Amino acid sequence: MMRASDIGWIGCHNCGAVHSRGAQVCRTCGSALHQRLPNSMQKLWAWLVTGIFFLIPANLYPLLSNEIFGHEEGHTILEGILLFAQSGDYLVAGVIFLASFVIPFFKVAVIATLALSIQHGWQLSPRLRHVLYEFVEFIGRWSMIDVFVVALLTGLVHLGAILAFLPGAGAICFALSVICTMLSAQALDAKLIWDGVTNE
Amino acid sequence: MTGLPDLTPPGDDPERKAWLRLFEADPDAVIACPSCDTLHLAETIAPGQVARCKRCHFTLIAPRRDTLNRTLALALTSAILMVAMLSFPFLTLTRQGLSNEVSILGMIGGLAHGWYMLLAILVAMFVVGVPMLRAAALIYVVWGLRQNRPPRAAREVFRLAEAMAPWAMTEVFLIGTGVALVKVAGLARVGFEEAFWIFCVMVLVLALKNASVCRWTIWTMIRERQE
Repeated sequence: MMRASDIGWIGCHNCGAVHSRGAQVCRTCGSALHQRLPNSMQKLWAWLVTGIFFLIPANLYPLLSNEIFGHEEGHTILEGILLFAQSGDYLVAGVIFLASFVIPFFKVAVIATLALSIQHGWQLSPRLRHVLYEFVEFIGRWSMIDVFVVALLTGLVHLGAILAFLPGAGAICFALSVICTMLSAQALDAKLIWDGVTNE
Repeated sequence: MTGLPDLTPPGDDPERKAWLRLFEADPDAVIACPSCDTLHLAETIAPGQVARCKRCHFTLIAPRRDTLNRTLALALTSAILMVAMLSFPFLTLTRQGLSNEVSILGMIGGLAHGWYMLLAILVAMFVVGVPMLRAAALIYVVWGLRQNRPPRAAREVFRLAEAMAPWAMTEVFLIGTGVALVKVAGLARVGFEEAFWIFCVMVLVLALKNASVCRWTIWTMIRERQE
């Protein structure tokens, strides 16, 4: 299996059209052409570090406060999950545990592993790296579930003094963290995963 | 940084020679997988079939029967459903005689003060704005292609439509609604209103719309009809 870069051609990152060396703009889709996306790794690390930076307050500050008969009570992500589990909603507790706790941390770890393995030429199989990359690309957006829950509860539930929800600082930190890690995963040039690999 | 692969392998490799011959005859007969750079012969395949990269299984070509009409119809449907969804109430909450009926726009508006504004903007963008911009962009491109005369900005607009795809989160919002309902289930009685059901249908239509677009087919059409 030969790759465009093996011949010195440039494959468009957007549409796949093949160009000979030196071409600047894709004749099919008009994207700027690059053998490999410029500064892919720097952008990845910049977004990833920012994402980690937001992930910490996202887990320490309350995500959501509920106000029942004037009594206000805030819950962090983990406390919210425990509340669901205690009231017997194990399915919902499981979904939120995955989407808001496991996936964000796992994703950060996976992106960092991918980046380090590419930059240091670790002997991870490219097949495994590719599966990890696909996973991170697919899963990123689903972490927004909790942010939408907070928005829905705050915006929908206005029952006077009886019941109201208020978003906590954790919610916006969490949303920003999800966005930054999505951008981090998008910054990765997947073609790098297969560079320097002889045909398996 | 890892170095780029050696760009000057020996010139007498038969596979390399074959690719060079193909490329010289017609550069558009060859495609490089956008995800992993592996070279493939671009062949027209039957609607419903899928051509995947043999190295990384990225979907290269996935033509649909009647793709332009189908995409146009589904994109228009999703836009109409979105307008309908925004104009009807979404959920009703009742507790101790107090009842509250809220639409999605009402919800976004209710959030739009102080720093909650950031949450309002996120919901407005990911749930309403991006899906609609994407539908509008597809309508613009596909409409032009149907007239056999792609609009001047077809390339930029289609590129934008594709770049927006990961940021359209209607289906994520639907799961979020489910979780939110469980959360208020013990605190208030919840009634589903028109907009909720319209939203469910819209998520389905948007998924069908995304599946009806074959990137390679659209790019090829844009290239051929612009020449």
